[in-house]
Amino acid sequence: MEAQPLTIRSWPRAILHLDADAFFASCEQAIHPELKGKPVITGKERGIVAAASYEAKALGVTRGTRLSEAKRACPEAVILPSDYETYSLFSVRMFDILRRFSPDVEEYSIDEAFVDLTGLRRSFHGPYGMIARQMQETIEQELGITVSVGVSLSKVLAKIASKHNKPHGFTLIPGREIHRYLRELPLGKVWGIGPNTTEFMRKFGIKTALAFARKEEDFITKHLSKPYQEIWHELNGRSIYPVVPESKSSYQSISKAKTFTPASNDAVFVFAQLSKNLEAACIKARRYKLAATRLIVFLRTQDFSDRGVELRLSRPTAYPAELFGALKQGFHELFDPEALYRQTGVVLAGLVPSSVIQYTLFEDTARIEKMARIYDAVDFLSERFGKYAVHHGSSLPTKLQARHEGERGDTPQRGSELFKGENRRQRLGLPMLHIKV
Amino acid sequence: MVVSLLDSRESKKVPAGRRGCLYEKGLKGLDRAQENFPLDSKRSFTYTGVMKKTTREDRLHSRVRVIAGFFRQNGRMPSFSEIGEMCGLRSKNAVYKLVKQLEGLGVLKRDKKGRLIPKSLAYSLRMLGAVEAGFPSPAEEELADTLSLDRLLIKNPDATFLLKVSGDSMSGAGILPGDMVVVDKGQQPKNGDIVIAEVDGQWTMKYLRKRGEKVLLISANPRYQPIKPKTELKIAGVVTAVVRKY
Repeated sequence: MEAQPLTIRSWPRAILHLDADAFFASCEQAIHPELKGKPVITGKERGIVAAASYEAKALGVTRGTRLSEAKRACPEAVILPSDYETYSLFSVRMFDILRRFSPDVEEYSIDEAFVDLTGLRRSFHGPYGMIARQMQETIEQELGITVSVGVSLSKVLAKIASKHNKPHGFTLIPGREIHRYLRELPLGKVWGIGPNTTEFMRKFGIKTALAFARKEEDFITKHLSKPYQEIWHELNGRSIYPVVPESKSSYQSISKAKTFTPASNDAVFVFAQLSKNLEAACIKARRYKLAATRLIVFLRTQDFSDRGVELRLSRPTAYPAELFGALKQGFHELFDPEALYRQTGVVLAGLVPSSVIQYTLFEDTARIEKMARIYDAVDFLSERFGKYAVHHGSSLPTKLQARHEGERGDTPQRGSELFKGENRRQRLGLPMLHIKV
Repeated sequence: MVVSLLDSRESKKVPAGRRGCLYEKGLKGLDRAQENFPLDSKRSFTYTGVMKKTTREDRLHSRVRVIAGFFRQNGRMPSFSEIGEMCGLRSKNAVYKLVKQLEGLGVLKRDKKGRLIPKSLAYSLRMLGAVEAGFPSPAEEELADTLSLDRLLIKNPDATFLLKVSGDSMSGAGILPGDMVVVDKGQQPKNGDIVIAEVDGQWTMKYLRKRGEKVLLISANPRYQPIKPKTELKIAGVVTAVVRKY
C-alpha cells in the first residue's frame, strides 16, 4: 500500500511553479555583486527584516524580526533599504523570460509564477525537465538571481515540488513518484490547508499529505468542503486549478495603505495620510478605468488595533475631490485624539467600469464633465512629470514628517544616484549595476 | 485583511440616514467653493460650446491612441468588436462610423475585404497633429521603418542593466567617468568585446582578448597594464553601448 503510486500516468499535465530564492535580497546581490555570498538584509527603512539572503538565514535571521535583533544575531550582515523599483523591474523581467517559453504564465506574486508546460515537449524537442532547466538557467544567467523550480501534475503538487529543495532547487515529480514526496510531508504544509483543517484531519488519524491523498473520495466529500476536495484531487495528480495567464487587468477592490513612523496623534497629519491614500487609490482606479461605489476608511493604532468604516456613495466616482466629504466624515467618526496612529488606509470597493456611470437626474453634468477634465489634466501631468506632480492640498501635511524618521529614513541607492536627465520621480526603467569600474 | 477587519469591527457603521447622501455632501463643498469664486459658474456657461468641441476631439485622440497602442502591442489591427470594447462603443455601427472617420483623416484604411490597415497610426504619436490638420504628410511612409533609440541601444531588454562608470581605464574607447554604459548579461562574450569582469576578486571594465586558451583583459588607457587572470575570471556582462547626456 505504501509503495503503490497514486497515479501511473506520468504527465497528463505539466505545471511548473517557480519561486525566487529570498527575492529582494537576491536582487540586491545581483546589482551589488560584491555582496554575493554575504548575509544581506533588506528593509532598513521599515526597521524590520523584509527579506534576508540565505547566508543571513543560515545565521538565524528570519523575516519580520526587528533589525536590532537581526544585528545581534548577525553583526556582519549588510542592511539595505528596500528598493522596490529595482525589485519590480526584476519581477517583470522574470515573467517575461518565462513567457519566452510558454504563453501560459500566471504571475502569482512578485516573485512566484505558475507556468503551464503541457504540450511543449514537441516544440522544445525534449522532456519537461529539460524545458524547466532551461527556464531556470536563463533566469539565473540573465538576471543573476537564483530561483527554485518544481514541476508536477497540478498546481498544488508543483508548489510542493518547488519547496522541496530550496534554494536553487530543481524538483520534478512525475505521476508515479508523487507518493514518495507526500509520504513525509505534514498535511499542514500543503498549499491551501490551514491549521484548523490540519487539526480536524488529525482527529481522523490523518497526519501526512499522503494519508490525506489516499483517503477515499466518499470520506473527503462527506467531511470537507469544495476547496479541500479540490486540493485532494490535485494531490492525486488531477489538475483542477488552471494556470490563469492574464496579468491583473481588473480589480474587485483597490486598497492603499501606508505605515508611518513615529506614530502620530496629529489629526491634520493623519488625515493628510488618508488623503494621500485616497489620491493613490483613485489614480489606480482611473488607470484601470474604474469607479468606486463604496469607500472604506481605516486607521491602525500603535498597538495594532484597527478601526474602519464603510461609506456608500450615491454614484460611482474615481475623483478624490468628490470623495473628500465622505473621507472627512469617515475620519471624524474613527479618529480618537487620545490614540497614536501608525497606519492609515482606504479601500475603493464595488468597482464598476467608469464608462457606464449613470448620472442621476438632478446632477449638474457640466460640473462633472469639468471634474473629469481636471483629472484628465492631472493624470496627464503625472505621466509627464511623475506621480503626484499635482496633488490635493490636503495631502500636503504628509511632508511635515519623513515617512520614517531618523536613520531608518534613508532612500535606496537607485533613488539617490541619478543619471543626468533622471529625477527623483522618474528614472530609466533598467536596473543599475553598482560596480565600481 | 481589510475585509476581516471590517467584519469583526465597525462594519458598515454609517447611520442609515447618512447613507446615500454623501455625494450630495461633496457637492455642498463645491457649492461653497463656488461662492468663493462667483466667476466660475459664468465661465463654464459661456464656454460650454467650446468645451464640448474639445471634448469630442479629445475623445477621438484618445481613441486613436488606444487603437495605436493595441497595434503596437499586438502587431495587428484590432477587429471591430475589439475596437468597440476598447473605446466603449456598444454597437458595430458606432465602430463603423469611427473607422470611417479615421479613414477620412488618414489614420487608417481598409482593404478590399474591409480589414483594417494602419496608416499614420503606425508610427508615432506625432501623427495626432496630422489628424487635426486633416492630411497625412508624404514623409510618413518613410518614417514607418524607423528605430527608437531604445531599440538601437538595447537588444535584449530582459537582460540589460545600466552601470555608471567611475574609472578612466576605458577612456581610449570613449568611455569616461560619469558615463552610463549599457550592459547585456545574456550575450556570450566574444574576442574584442568590452566586458564587465571580476578578475581575482576585483571588478573591472576592459577589452576581452582571447587567444586560444589564453585570456587577457586590456584597457584602453596606456596608464593601465593588461591584466592576466591568475585564479579566476567571471564575466558579468558585455558592454553594448555608452550613453552620455550633456
